[in-house]
Amino acid sequence: MSTAEETPKATEPAASDDLAALLGRVAARDAAAFAALYRSTHAVLYGVVARILTRGDASGEALQEAYVRIWEKAGEFDSARGSPLAWMATIARNRAIDEVRRVRPASLEEMPEGFEPAAEAVDPLAARARSERLAALLACLGNLDADKREAVLLAYYRGFSRDALARRFGAPTATIKTWLRRSLMQLRDCLES
Amino acid sequence: MTLSPDDDFAAAEFALGTLEPGERATLAARRLRESELDAAIRAWEMRLSPLAEATPPIVPPGDFLPAIEARIRAAAAPPASHGVAALQKRLSRWRAAAVGTTGIAAALAIGFIAREATRAVAPREFVAILQRSADSPAFVASINLDSRELTVRPLAAPPQAGKSYELWIIEPKLGPPRSLGVIDAATVTRNPRLAAFDRAVVEDATYAVTVEPEGGSPDGKPSGPPVFVGKLVAVEP
Repeated sequence: MSTAEETPKATEPAASDDLAALLGRVAARDAAAFAALYRSTHAVLYGVVARILTRGDASGEALQEAYVRIWEKAGEFDSARGSPLAWMATIARNRAIDEVRRVRPASLEEMPEGFEPAAEAVDPLAARARSERLAALLACLGNLDADKREAVLLAYYRGFSRDALARRFGAPTATIKTWLRRSLMQLRDCLES
Repeated sequence: MTLSPDDDFAAAEFALGTLEPGERATLAARRLRESELDAAIRAWEMRLSPLAEATPPIVPPGDFLPAIEARIRAAAAPPASHGVAALQKRLSRWRAAAVGTTGIAAALAIGFIAREATRAVAPREFVAILQRSADSPAFVASINLDSRELTVRPLAAPPQAGKSYELWIIEPKLGPPRSLGVIDAATVTRNPRLAAFDRAVVEDATYAVTVEPEGGSPDGKPSGPPVFVGKLVAVEP
């Protein structure tokens, strides 16, 4: 085990191959690899949970729980099913969604001033070439009507519930559910085509 | 793929995060027992996960790494009184007392169905093996449906430093999960809260265990997904 661990900058995600190698070492209970993994990914994972939970204390708690889970489950990572960062970010996101559904529904009122998550999230230039999977998903999202795409992205990035989406779009909750169903099935068909 | 379209949509909404709290808890419990549903949720998480990866980073306020490492060390501390021999002794004692056969839910269920075909009297004693998978039983909940007496025995639940295990009853008719109280990882817990529920609800419900802050959930709602889950099966009188 090398003692001179390369430490990537906090906000600069490491390449997928590096992260996969670190995850492999974490699965073998390598604490130095875990520290390196934390340093190179925590800002992305915090970005995921903080957009959903908004409160700093809840976001910090969710981040800690996510990394404990990543330590426990590192051996389950399967590179055939996605990138290491996508896998880790999904664990963090699930933790944040569990928390936000437990506490209260995410509401429009809690959106920070001037924060446009949907626009930010789908900026194809910012996300360009991050991965082929992302490019394919963005292309399929682009096929959805603008409102329906925004609903999916607000749910994904901000943790909006059906009720919060209903308020946002001035539509009944049942309509939102129908939107989500059609959008998700359309996305799946598009991704599989 | 034999999953119904409704279940596949539920899996998609689980991954997207838009299920209502009660629906989410129900699905979280079901996926531990239904491998196709679990696979569908994973597939949806995978489809959407490139979005998570592309989230613009935010530098958190402070360094959480030392706290995370401390939690990992606390979780890894060897349990004091949970040697394998003690566990096997308790497991075999429970098996002899409760069913006189192997303690696997599937075997119980098959025996139950076979017996029920020829029996007129409704069973009174039920057990639920609360487990992550069939070979890792963590708790056994025994319930007398007449008295609604609930007894929870630990089998191999790892103690959680600074945390408590809490038992929940999950049934769509009840709405969100209802707490049945904190259960002890080392000793038998008896709890009368089941008296408040209908027999049919008690019989059909899913029982789930979550890890909560010490003393139980502060707001009466599960803090996270279940770590152990089970359904009732009848015990031969």
